[in-house]
Amino acid sequence: MTKKSGKILCVDDEPNIVRSLQWLLQKEFEVFTANNGQCALALVQQHDFDVVISDQRMPIMTGVEVLREVRRLSPRTMRILLTGYSDMQAILRSINESEVFRFVNKPWNIAELPGLVAQAVNIARTRPAEEYSAELHEDTPLAAANDDRILVIDDDPDTQRAVAEIVGNTVRVSYTPNLAEAVNILNNEAVSVIVAETRVGSIDATRLVRLMKSRHPEIVTVMLSDDADADAVTTLINQGQIYRFVPKPVRQGYLRLVLNSALRKHNALTLDPQLTGRHAVEITPAEAAESLISDVHQVAVEVEAANPGRGGFLASIGAGLRRLFGS
Amino acid sequence: MQFKLVRYFTLASIGMFGLVAISLVYFEHQQGAFFKQTEEQQAAFFGEVQQSFARQQDESARRDLLTIHESGNVNLTRLFANALWARDFAPFVARAQAIDIHPCRAIADVDAGGKTVAPPEKKACFADVGKRIMALPGFDDIDAKVYDAMKKSTVFKIKVFDLRGVTIYSSEHEQIGDDKSANAGWRAAAHDGTPKSELTHRDTFSAFEGVVENRDLISSYLPVLEPGSSRVVGVFEVYSDVTPFLKQIEATSAQIRATALDNQAKVDAAARTNLAEVDAASNRQLATVAVLLSLLFVALLVIVRRADRIIRQQEKERQHSHQQLAQTEKMASLGQMVAGVAHQLNTPLAFSQNNVLMVKDALDSMVFPMKVANRMSSVLKTTTGDVVTLKVAQLRSNLARLEDGDVDVDMLQQMLGDVLEGIEQMSEMVVNLRDFTRLDRASVASADLNKSLHTVAYIAKSVIPHDILVVEEFHPLPEVECNASQLNQVFLNLINNAAQAIDGSGRITLRTEADGEQVRIEVEDTGRGIPPEVLPHIFDLYFTTKPAGQGTGLGLAIARDIVTQHGGEIRVDTRLGAGTTFIITLPIRQRAALAEAA
Repeated sequence: MTKKSGKILCVDDEPNIVRSLQWLLQKEFEVFTANNGQCALALVQQHDFDVVISDQRMPIMTGVEVLREVRRLSPRTMRILLTGYSDMQAILRSINESEVFRFVNKPWNIAELPGLVAQAVNIARTRPAEEYSAELHEDTPLAAANDDRILVIDDDPDTQRAVAEIVGNTVRVSYTPNLAEAVNILNNEAVSVIVAETRVGSIDATRLVRLMKSRHPEIVTVMLSDDADADAVTTLINQGQIYRFVPKPVRQGYLRLVLNSALRKHNALTLDPQLTGRHAVEITPAEAAESLISDVHQVAVEVEAANPGRGGFLASIGAGLRRLFGS
Repeated sequence: MQFKLVRYFTLASIGMFGLVAISLVYFEHQQGAFFKQTEEQQAAFFGEVQQSFARQQDESARRDLLTIHESGNVNLTRLFANALWARDFAPFVARAQAIDIHPCRAIADVDAGGKTVAPPEKKACFADVGKRIMALPGFDDIDAKVYDAMKKSTVFKIKVFDLRGVTIYSSEHEQIGDDKSANAGWRAAAHDGTPKSELTHRDTFSAFEGVVENRDLISSYLPVLEPGSSRVVGVFEVYSDVTPFLKQIEATSAQIRATALDNQAKVDAAARTNLAEVDAASNRQLATVAVLLSLLFVALLVIVRRADRIIRQQEKERQHSHQQLAQTEKMASLGQMVAGVAHQLNTPLAFSQNNVLMVKDALDSMVFPMKVANRMSSVLKTTTGDVVTLKVAQLRSNLARLEDGDVDVDMLQQMLGDVLEGIEQMSEMVVNLRDFTRLDRASVASADLNKSLHTVAYIAKSVIPHDILVVEEFHPLPEVECNASQLNQVFLNLINNAAQAIDGSGRITLRTEADGEQVRIEVEDTGRGIPPEVLPHIFDLYFTTKPAGQGTGLGLAIARDIVTQHGGEIRVDTRLGAGTTFIITLPIRQRAALAEAA
């Protein structure tokens, strides 16, 4: 018998699912099961789980609610949400409240799931748990360190205004409405928090975010968006481990809270780089990287055409991209 | 019923304009007639005035003529009397008195043709008297003197009467002896002493000179006064010729008349031209008004036609939008259902796939041990003894693989059992979907509504939140003639609404009951209830309490339409904070109408 490495809890109201998961994972791990949130939380309090896998759609207590409680009860435990149902609200909440590690769609890939669980177990055991911080309030002062910098990537002037109003002079802020500039800034400055729109101009900016996290895990990303797409959001978590997802229009008070929390998170990550391991990401496919590079190049060309004075911009972009993402 | 705007407008305006036109024409006509009448009256008046002037002129001319000549004659008589009476006439008259006329007078007048005339004997008697007078001495003398005095003058005849009325002398000798006592002129002169004159026309007249023809004469009866006194001693009758004067008068009159006629003609002509002008003017007016009215009509018609077109267009668009909206509603609810169904199917798919793959893997790992077992069987078959020697060196190196085969077959059996369950679940979904849409059935057929409701509830559970319990309280129902797929749509809509009314967890109860010739179906929820200000409107088309863009407001309206088409009723009971119940009653048998609509 192979050594059982990892204590897992599977939660689903559908008994067949729970049984299948158990059969799949019990070879490698010690698997516990629960049919509802109440039982699951009771078990969490009794045992010290490495990973909790929960289905979203359950009566009385949804998966998001369960995982939120798990985060509170046992911050060390890695949280995976099983989804088969594009409930946007639930997904956003699971990001923002439960800080989910991965979304797994039903039907799961039986070759990959055990590997994912193993990775999660590893992180749970080797990386320090994040302290469960007290809930921030909207008027808690911004916890900014001197060298913090917020990069805002959005072509919507309202976002700039909102961030400027919140931040004032406490933190340095860079604004850019296009991706090429963003690459430039990321190259030349140390950025703490990125606040980005999912689409900048007409370009999908999520690729930048996803690629960034694998190389620069200390950067905390907050995504804003007019229209939230379940698939995009799932990918952003799985590949980008974004910190928060805020649908537009954004309420000023809420954005303040989010920025504050993001800055604190960045602090925590810089203080203890081991923490970043908690936010390991899946590899972004190479096509995404290539298409991003070509799009940024395109934007750089346009910018250079508009501002002929910016000599060498294109060149610096090329170098910047390579540095940011490796080749 | 479509309001035929253009037609009504055309009829109404033609009627109105026609009325206006007719009244205008009538008034113009009245005015024209009045004007014409006025003109005619004026002309007539003018004519009368002229004629009266002319007449007056003529009359006064004649009167003047008469007066002048009478006074002339009076003078003449005086002169004559002065000259001749005392010496010549008076004795003659006295002699004539001796002749007795009474026997002649005694002869009675006879009535001839309504007039009293003297019979021939009387005339003969008086003629005889005349002869006797002419036989008196001194007659010829007088006669000659008279002729001398009067010839070549305008006095054409003289007669002398005595106070008895007898014609003592006349320049026409045949008249001597006539009795003129009845004559008004003689009477006036003799008795009253006033001259009397008269203007006459004689076709023939025996004058001094001889017989004349065609003369206008003034005859005056003149009293002869004894010279030096005012005693009437005799009567003269003098005929003076005024033909030329009269001709003059007549000529003047004729001229005046001609002028009058001329003026009249001018007035008439002027009146006619005025009338013509007025007519023309009024015709112009009418024509202008008519043209303006037609322009107005045409302009309005164009506007109305456009308006009508636009209205029809808008109506078409509205219908089109309505249809689109109904379609969107259907698609949205269909989309929701499809998503729910997809998710529902995902679960059995997930674990079935998982289990089958695991069983496959397990079977793979059983291949080697099976091979070994088979090898063992074949070895056993060929060996006769009870003891066999195995070379386990090679086998030892494959120990791991052998151990792999120690598969928990019970577990595999359970796995496959679960797979079968999963397949069962998926079939159930497929069956329910098929029952829900009922595409393979005729539109109107007999259906078991309990089964329909159960199907709908099953489908709905994939869509509505998991913590809402759906409870079925069915009583046995007879088969109902209906369009089952339409009713399914209604039930699904009600269950969806019920779920949306519930915040968090709650219960939806589906109740059915047979009630004579009808069935009753209730959908009850434990939601927040319908507020009283919303309640009257819930079945209204496009009415929704959801924010803009989320609800089409068509669901309940369509539901009511479907129920009404089935000859049924739908009503609602609600309590704020407690819940709502929708109650549908449907007849078991359909009238021809629904069957036809199928």
